[in-house]
Amino acid sequence: MHPSEGGAGDRDLMARLASGDREALAPLMGRHYRRLYRIALSYLRQPDDALDVVQEAFVKAYQWAPRWDGSAEAGPWLSRITVNLSIDRWRRNRRRAQTFAPLADGDHAATLADLGPAPDRRVEGREAGERLATALRGLPERQRAVVVLRHYQDLSLEEIAVTLGMSLGTVKSSLHRALRRMREALEGGRA
Amino acid sequence: MILGHLRRRRLVSLLAAGVLEGREREETLAHIAECARCREEHEALRAIVAGMEQDPVRGADPPVPLAFFVARVEREVEQALVPRGRPRWWLLAVPAAAAIVAVAVLVPAIVARLRPAPRAAQAEIPPAEASPLLTEDALARIERNLAREHAARYLNEAGEVLVAVAATGVDCNRADERLDVGSAPERSRELLERRALVVRGGGEAVASARGVLDDVELALREVADLPSCVRRGDVERLRREVEERQLLMRIRLMTRELEG
Repeated sequence: MHPSEGGAGDRDLMARLASGDREALAPLMGRHYRRLYRIALSYLRQPDDALDVVQEAFVKAYQWAPRWDGSAEAGPWLSRITVNLSIDRWRRNRRRAQTFAPLADGDHAATLADLGPAPDRRVEGREAGERLATALRGLPERQRAVVVLRHYQDLSLEEIAVTLGMSLGTVKSSLHRALRRMREALEGGRA
Repeated sequence: MILGHLRRRRLVSLLAAGVLEGREREETLAHIAECARCREEHEALRAIVAGMEQDPVRGADPPVPLAFFVARVEREVEQALVPRGRPRWWLLAVPAAAAIVAVAVLVPAIVARLRPAPRAAQAEIPPAEASPLLTEDALARIERNLAREHAARYLNEAGEVLVAVAATGVDCNRADERLDVGSAPERSRELLERRALVVRGGGEAVASARGVLDDVELALREVADLPSCVRRGDVERLRREVEERQLLMRIRLMTRELEG
């Protein structure tokens, strides 16, 4: 579901959640589970981590619901929580990787290849996924969030600005810098 | 000149990202038609964008069905609501009920010993009526509530075990497609040992939960027979069974009913 859709239903559910009605949590999860999972997965590229992040996002949404601004859309609010938690998880994983062992790129690639629908295209998908994952991982945290919301969620620049709490100008320059950086990374990888 | 060049590069990136509109879009398209370097830049960035549009991650479904995910989150919310270091309410309920029963039994006995010898008429009064603290009805109510609370706790824990197994995504052997279900089989066996106490001890108080308890028992028996490292297919079969029987939802509803 696109975050600009279903505002009234979301608002109603958020209002119920804010008043302590836990029954509103399950329908809210039904509406946003898949979308938030894809945001977290695009950011982290690891299904288990993405699932944990979305779970944490809904727990936070329940805990923070009383602080939710009733006039705001719930979709972008939930997306922002998910992006921030994905960034936290990414930092934690990176710290752990620096402490114990380097990230296993092969594992990421294998995991992504498992997501592909057609087995005969797995090798192709694995290579493309691996290169893209490497280029995405090389981006600064916020730039990566902009790329994920634009190219994995199809959000407009305005929607990205609302979701991440950035100005429109910052979103534009972040997207520009991110794409250029990805190009450099991909071309450097080929050389 | 430099500023104009930087602006052009930014517009080329935004054109490749598909976010440029109106006059800016027309002008940038006209520019790249004439500028070979900008055209090459645009094509390279478009290829990256196209790669992301074909990335399987875009259409990936969560590895855990919604019903199990909802159960996982609700369990987390439940735990988040219990302040650390403070006992759960039912941990207080059992000693409190025991204290009430003890007072009800001991106080009349002590009072009777301290009193002077009763007259014949007073001695004929039944003990329950003589106790001002607790009637037989009140005792029966306490027993009934305790049995229902015990059953609710049992169902809650059983639900946690089923979610832990069905929602696991942890590989214990990637090559062999096996998943780690941790201590779930052991916890299932412990729960099955407690089941008789819940059902027989609960009697009529938990009669309405009998159907759910029976289905939970079947599911727990399957989990109890599992090793800690399970074939993915076995986990998926169990997940399907739990879903078909709507077991998690029924556990949730029955737990609430039992807790009143």
